[in-house]
Amino acid sequence: MAAPPRASSSRAAVQATNDDASASKLSCVRKGYMTDNYVQYFVRRPVKRSPLINRGYFARWAAIRALLMQFLSQPSSKRKQIVSLGAGFDTTFFQLNEEENAPDIFMEVDFLEVTSKKAMIVAACKEMARHLESPVFAPEKGEISSEHYKLFACDLTDTARLDAVCEKADLDLSAPTLILAECVLIYMDPEASRALLRWAASKFSNAVFVAYEQIHGEDAFGQQMIRNLESRGCPLLGIHDTSTLESKMNRFLETGWKRAVAVDMDEIYNRHIDPVERRRIERLEIFDEFEEWHIMQEHYCVAYGIIDENETFAGFGFSQISSES
Amino acid sequence: MNVAPVSSNGYGQLDAQIAQLMQCKPLVEHEVQALCEKAKEILMEENNVQPVKCPVTICGDIHGQFHDLAELFRIGGKCPDTNYLFMGDYVDRGYYSVETATLLVALKVRYPDRITILRGNHESRQITQVYGFYDECLRKYGNANVWKIFTDLFDYFPLTALVESEIFCLHGGLSPSIDTLDHVRQLDRVQEVPHEGPMCDLLWSDPDDRCGWGISPRGAGYTFGHDISEQFNHTNNLKLVARAHQLVMEGYNWGHEHKVVTIFSAPNYCYRCGNMASILEVDDNMGHTFIQFEPAPRRGEPDVTRRTPDYFL
Repeated sequence: MAAPPRASSSRAAVQATNDDASASKLSCVRKGYMTDNYVQYFVRRPVKRSPLINRGYFARWAAIRALLMQFLSQPSSKRKQIVSLGAGFDTTFFQLNEEENAPDIFMEVDFLEVTSKKAMIVAACKEMARHLESPVFAPEKGEISSEHYKLFACDLTDTARLDAVCEKADLDLSAPTLILAECVLIYMDPEASRALLRWAASKFSNAVFVAYEQIHGEDAFGQQMIRNLESRGCPLLGIHDTSTLESKMNRFLETGWKRAVAVDMDEIYNRHIDPVERRRIERLEIFDEFEEWHIMQEHYCVAYGIIDENETFAGFGFSQISSES
Repeated sequence: MNVAPVSSNGYGQLDAQIAQLMQCKPLVEHEVQALCEKAKEILMEENNVQPVKCPVTICGDIHGQFHDLAELFRIGGKCPDTNYLFMGDYVDRGYYSVETATLLVALKVRYPDRITILRGNHESRQITQVYGFYDECLRKYGNANVWKIFTDLFDYFPLTALVESEIFCLHGGLSPSIDTLDHVRQLDRVQEVPHEGPMCDLLWSDPDDRCGWGISPRGAGYTFGHDISEQFNHTNNLKLVARAHQLVMEGYNWGHEHKVVTIFSAPNYCYRCGNMASILEVDDNMGHTFIQFEPAPRRGEPDVTRRTPDYFL
């Protein structure tokens, strides 16, 4: 296969997508789409996003949250672990903990520049720090270690370092583990994202790897998306390698995962999100962006790969979450 | 024959304003106010079904994409050399709603018989507060006066136009409360776009593959099927319903066995969609030609447009 075109990818620009995502999440929270009492601490200047962006972040949040809750509610004799790769300023652990749903271990990794900022903000924020049991903050190393929540600095292309942080976090490699990568793999070189998936498949024996990211770089909307994101310094390096739902699934199967599923966000929104919630949020704002909404949602997907020894994850996934009557 | 000097043809100031607007430079508040007062006098005399003669070039949504409107005039010909019929949605979403709306209103005042500007669902107080025009007015003028002046004027925009009794033009689509053009003529249009009823439907409805009337996912207006379009065109001796309102990737899209056409004139809508735009030229013999166009090259625009549109990141 020909090598994909290389665009200049700036580490700072990719990291800046955190700030953008946090601002968008806060915009949703303020409009009442979902509850997140912690994202506010990561946004310096709150902004108002368009209803389409609010609704799309809600859809993503609801889809991921549904998978997380399904994972967390499955009975297990072993502890539950969530590993969030390229977590950015995500606040899921704190919100889950407030709702008394946090797993035994919640480990986040990202670039040092991101995790050191995150460690500083959490350390300085009483409201967040109170969720940590016997925390040790090391912002200069970009680390937080506590009983249940662990934050580490790690370049995701460095699997030796990933091995080390898994050990530091005291992960049980055979315990049910949900690995999350939201808009992460797509910014990596295809060889690097595949290496990461291969690493995870060989590391954990009972895991589901959930990725949320862009698809369909080949059509007019996709081409424009590629140009726009390239112009802000965060090119979608992985889009040509996995441009379709099928190729997202195959990437898992080709890197050691046993089963894989990929569903685009338009379908997820229509079929796998609680219809009561959907009706509630659809009344929050005037919405007049339908054509664009469908196009946007068709260009994002949730794909997951599963590896399990004893059918730990049998029945896991969107097939269990249907909003159709 | 003596040619009157520009300054004394009575339009000198207006021509200067149009020249200024063509460079994407907004007018000051009192100029906008004076302009909109004159526009109101013209628009209030227009019919709910404003008759239009061919040749005319029919255009869809612009949405504040001023530089693409300038491109549209380069491609379609300058007003008044070309007659234009715009089917609404001049404001919101793009970064230049103020300049776009002001230019179209100025052209209407200068050449009232050469340009027709219909009302779209975004020419409303409520929608513009959500989708950008209100915020843009605040940003550019420091207060909401210009927003108020424009949204008061929007109430007078005609709802539909009829080209040579054959092509019925409007922003959205048909209404279950309206069977004939006379029903449209009877509407009292000078008001904010209502949340329901015939006037709302004309600005909000969409054609659909399913027959009959359907509930619109937009929460306003209806969807209407091929059978509805067929019946409406038959009843009113129409050849075609031309409408805008929906993004179509090629800039135009035939529907309902050529009884309905959607025209969309904002290329790369929201600087994100990658779509073509188009306009429909109707010639002296009522022949149609679609002209597609791409986004205008962006030259020397201020920083605001370098901000890339939002995605889920």
